[in-house]
Amino acid sequence: MSNADELLRIEGIRKTFPGVVALDGVDFDLRRGEVHVLLGENGAGKSTLIKMLSGAHTPDAGRILVGGEEVRIHGAQDSERLGIATIYQEFNLVPDLTIAENIFLGRQPRRFGMIDRKTMEAEAEVLLARVGVNVSPRARVRELGIARLQMVEIAKALSLDARVLIMDEPTAVLTSEEVEKLFAIVRKLREDGVGIVFITHHLEEIAALGDRVTVIRDGKSVGQVPAVTPEDELVRLMVGRSIDQQYPRERADAGAALLTVEGLTRDGVFHDVSFQVHAGEVVGIAGLVGAGRTEVVRAVFGADPYDKGAVKVAGAEVRRGDVNAAMAAGIGLIPEDRKGQGLVLDASVEENLGLVTLRSATRAGLVDLKGQREAAARIADQLGVRMAGLWQHVRTLSGGNQQKVVIGKWLLADTKVLILDEPTRGIDVGAKVEIYQLINELTAAGAAVLMISSDLPEVLGMSDRVLVMAQGRIAGELAADEATQDAVMALAVSNPTHQKTETEATRGH
Amino acid sequence: MATDTLKSTTGASGATGGLRRLLLDNGALTALIVLVIAMSALSGDFMTADNLLNVGVQAAVTAILAFGVTFVIVSAGIDLSVGSVAALSATVLAWSATSQGVPVALAVVLAIATGIACGLVNGFLISYGKLPPFIATLAMLSVGRGLSLVISQGSPIAFPGSVSHLGDTLGGWLPVPVLVMVLMGLVTAFVLGRTYIGRSMYAIGGNEEAARLSGLRVKRQKLAIYAFSGLFAAAAGIVLAARLSSAQPQAAQGYELDAIAAVVIGGASLAGGTGKASGTLIGALILAVLRNGLNLLSVSAFWQQVVIGVVIALAVLLDTVRRKAGATPVTAGASGDGRGRQAATYVLAAVVAAAVVGAMSFLHSGSSAAKDQKIGLALSTLNNPFFVQIRAGAQEEAKKLGVDLTVTDAQNDASQQANQLQNFTSEGLGTIIVNAVDSDAVTPAAKAVNKSGIPLVAVDRAVNNADTAALVASDNVTGGRLAAKSLADRLGGRGTIVVLQGQAGASASRERGAGFTAGLKAYPGIKVVAEQPADWDRTKGLDVMTNLLQAHPDIDGVFAENDEMALGAIKALGSKAGKSVAVIGFDGTADGLSAVKAGTLYASVAQQPTELGRIAVQNALKVAEGKKVTKSVMVPVKVVTKENVAGFSG
Repeated sequence: MSNADELLRIEGIRKTFPGVVALDGVDFDLRRGEVHVLLGENGAGKSTLIKMLSGAHTPDAGRILVGGEEVRIHGAQDSERLGIATIYQEFNLVPDLTIAENIFLGRQPRRFGMIDRKTMEAEAEVLLARVGVNVSPRARVRELGIARLQMVEIAKALSLDARVLIMDEPTAVLTSEEVEKLFAIVRKLREDGVGIVFITHHLEEIAALGDRVTVIRDGKSVGQVPAVTPEDELVRLMVGRSIDQQYPRERADAGAALLTVEGLTRDGVFHDVSFQVHAGEVVGIAGLVGAGRTEVVRAVFGADPYDKGAVKVAGAEVRRGDVNAAMAAGIGLIPEDRKGQGLVLDASVEENLGLVTLRSATRAGLVDLKGQREAAARIADQLGVRMAGLWQHVRTLSGGNQQKVVIGKWLLADTKVLILDEPTRGIDVGAKVEIYQLINELTAAGAAVLMISSDLPEVLGMSDRVLVMAQGRIAGELAADEATQDAVMALAVSNPTHQKTETEATRGH
Repeated sequence: MATDTLKSTTGASGATGGLRRLLLDNGALTALIVLVIAMSALSGDFMTADNLLNVGVQAAVTAILAFGVTFVIVSAGIDLSVGSVAALSATVLAWSATSQGVPVALAVVLAIATGIACGLVNGFLISYGKLPPFIATLAMLSVGRGLSLVISQGSPIAFPGSVSHLGDTLGGWLPVPVLVMVLMGLVTAFVLGRTYIGRSMYAIGGNEEAARLSGLRVKRQKLAIYAFSGLFAAAAGIVLAARLSSAQPQAAQGYELDAIAAVVIGGASLAGGTGKASGTLIGALILAVLRNGLNLLSVSAFWQQVVIGVVIALAVLLDTVRRKAGATPVTAGASGDGRGRQAATYVLAAVVAAAVVGAMSFLHSGSSAAKDQKIGLALSTLNNPFFVQIRAGAQEEAKKLGVDLTVTDAQNDASQQANQLQNFTSEGLGTIIVNAVDSDAVTPAAKAVNKSGIPLVAVDRAVNNADTAALVASDNVTGGRLAAKSLADRLGGRGTIVVLQGQAGASASRERGAGFTAGLKAYPGIKVVAEQPADWDRTKGLDVMTNLLQAHPDIDGVFAENDEMALGAIKALGSKAGKSVAVIGFDGTADGLSAVKAGTLYASVAQQPTELGRIAVQNALKVAEGKKVTKSVMVPVKVVTKENVAGFSG
């Protein structure tokens, strides 16, 4: 108990929200110089737990001890004083201020009442060097990519002399190369004696980085195990059952071509993209971030315009740049940005589920509210959306349940061609499998599924065919049996433009 | 829905729990109830059937406008143009029916179409032109106001009698505006709750991109949303004009802000996605109860504005606290936290009540001493020294005669003045003195006063087509003529001059202008090279004069229809004023007279506002005591120049 190395101890924390018990008896502890992984499904209570530490929530019961003394954390100031820094998935940075200003926001060094820019920038430079970012502290945060934004957040935490650093899914938005860099920095911080609480859904990262793992399930801490624990065992702890198969793809017989895309081009963005998706088939689109995958599917769905080419559903051409025409043809899109594009966050589950069918449920301008509610109740039940009721605002649902709502609204509309853009990003293993099973049900019923994913095992595990995009073009197509991680990566980093003589295409990159 | 579920958890506590829940879920309703209780405690005149109907009538126009704005705000937009569109629609109706001989039914259709067209233009600019709603509707605010001035040529137009019934009562007691308000409210609730477009508004307001990607035709919906707002604005404009029996091109100025305030007080978020018809109605009622109550309590016109602002802020604050309380469960094991917040809500409500009661009893304490006679003075504005002097004269005389005098300020809004006159009739006054915003627009309200049996005395401006026991005024037409004569004499009968006009459409401006033009006929050597309105305002006088000097650098004289504009013009003229350019003003205000003394202002046609106020009160008292008075008391105007300024005081 009185371990000198112990930075933080949480005992029997409990927290309730309207209709939900978020945490019920969680124990956790953190030592100097360790990476303690917090593992659990979405909605298990990880976010609530770290919000207790950052002062956003106060516990209903239980104790928090920092350095052996019981503390009450009532706000960001309290946690800052205790040396606890949190890096959320959504960064807390002001885009139009410089890096240095962001790092020292609210605590800018002052001279004669004026901000001492020189000192501030010099100190920022030291911090940036510590996290291995080679950018001027005078650069505006708006100009930085996601990986660097994260490093700025870490630098900010370091500037606070944080002894406890909490990182909420820091790798979710990073490429594998960036992840390696992040790990190097985290290891260095560990050597410096910082205690790190690390939240991730990527099991392979646990062995690579972690020291200990605490697993949370349904608001309770169900076990503390060393990081070398086998993945199967971790999954079993996390979901309370063993998942036999992470990618339970059941191949249906491919039917006729449902979606045909021919020579789709938007100058400077994507070029001459052609492919087909057959009924009962899952086609995956792999590629690096920025390869133009999202742009292509948005154009197919009519959300963005394109310059050349055609989109056909079951042989009939779909009007370009017209979401409603695409919907009428039976296309549905689960967008990449769930909160920004998929959901009306402050509306209820019922209202969100009814969005796509709102028009068809309207007779003479009047909405059949009763029918909408019944349909919503049916689909929420079918998808197993965990909620307090249909009236619950989707903002308060966990990521996996939010995604189920987005998918649900398209299922209600009898979608024939479903496009999923990063459908499982930020979703835990259990919910992922449920979404894969939904995909199976869809294809078994004769629908065509087009799935973009940056998660290679997922693309390989779930697709019947894999299209690989690079630099706005289809770099190649792989059948399920020939698609390996190496083959996909080789295509993803290839330069498919050399086959073409168009100079315009190369200029775009 | 959330209410239902939460209610069921507290169901055990029964009916009182349900009521508490209702109040907690509806901060605005709580605020309204608190306000009503406070008002009835403070004024015996408040809780009468007549007065409550008055409140309804006074809320009607704001409420109808606010219903339209609710659609826009729910969909995360804003509509600043509703006041102007209301005035434009009413003007179109009156103009087509009265001056163009269009059948009244068709004229009504035309007016509604005008409102919808304005809304469609807004919607088009926002959807397809990608203009921010604030800018698009701000532009429409200006265009609408301008067009209504163009169509009406600045003067109020009489409203066709058959439509004016919309301002009357049904069966002698139920005011039609209240009926229209309730009807429009039901329509709004229905549209928001049950229709495709209504449900789309919430989705678009909540997350426009998600709505678009779910197949909602966002652009087309926005066209319709703004068209709805225009339609409601047209309806509000017709009701407003019907109450005044006259379409005023300057009507409903600033009402867009009242409408937005009503929507937000009612619980909607300017960020979009929330808002209800019932909330908006409550918001509009809160504003109306406040104005009515403050009138009844004879709170000083200046303090009224302060109180209204404070109550708006408190009402929204109450709602915010309520929401926080609502976010904490009353469910299983509710700890002290939830109850603590509920308690906070009650405490805040109590504080609001105490503040309202305290402020009002403090602010109207001056008039609480029992006096024999009570007289009301409804002024058109207090934003101008002239009227402030009328008030000063009236107050001085009232004190001398031992009369209890209540003064209201209509802020140059004919509709607000109608409300204030209505409120006066609930108070059992001996006489009402009215300084009409507009001589025609005041008619219906004046007739209502006649009906109540309270005698009416008009001051400064006549009241047309209603009985007034006396008119105390100075002669604007003669004044204009005098101004022309003295200016022409000063210039030796030759030269070029410009005229700064008062607010377009104001009767004083028309009369002074007419007198001036008539007076100038005798001097063919004088040429008027420009006539521009500067709205009675010193700053505008400065700006307009500066602009005119660019076009006409060599003018010899300026006639400003009041002293304020003349003083602005003098600023613009700089060293020329009083030397190469002779400026003549009107009113003889203190500032104007000192400029005459200084020589920068050549002359001011002085009315004697203090005298106007004094004589008005004298006459009002006589009338109240049943004595005979002269029907028309003309307070002389005289031209004050440097020679006679010493012996003159307003």
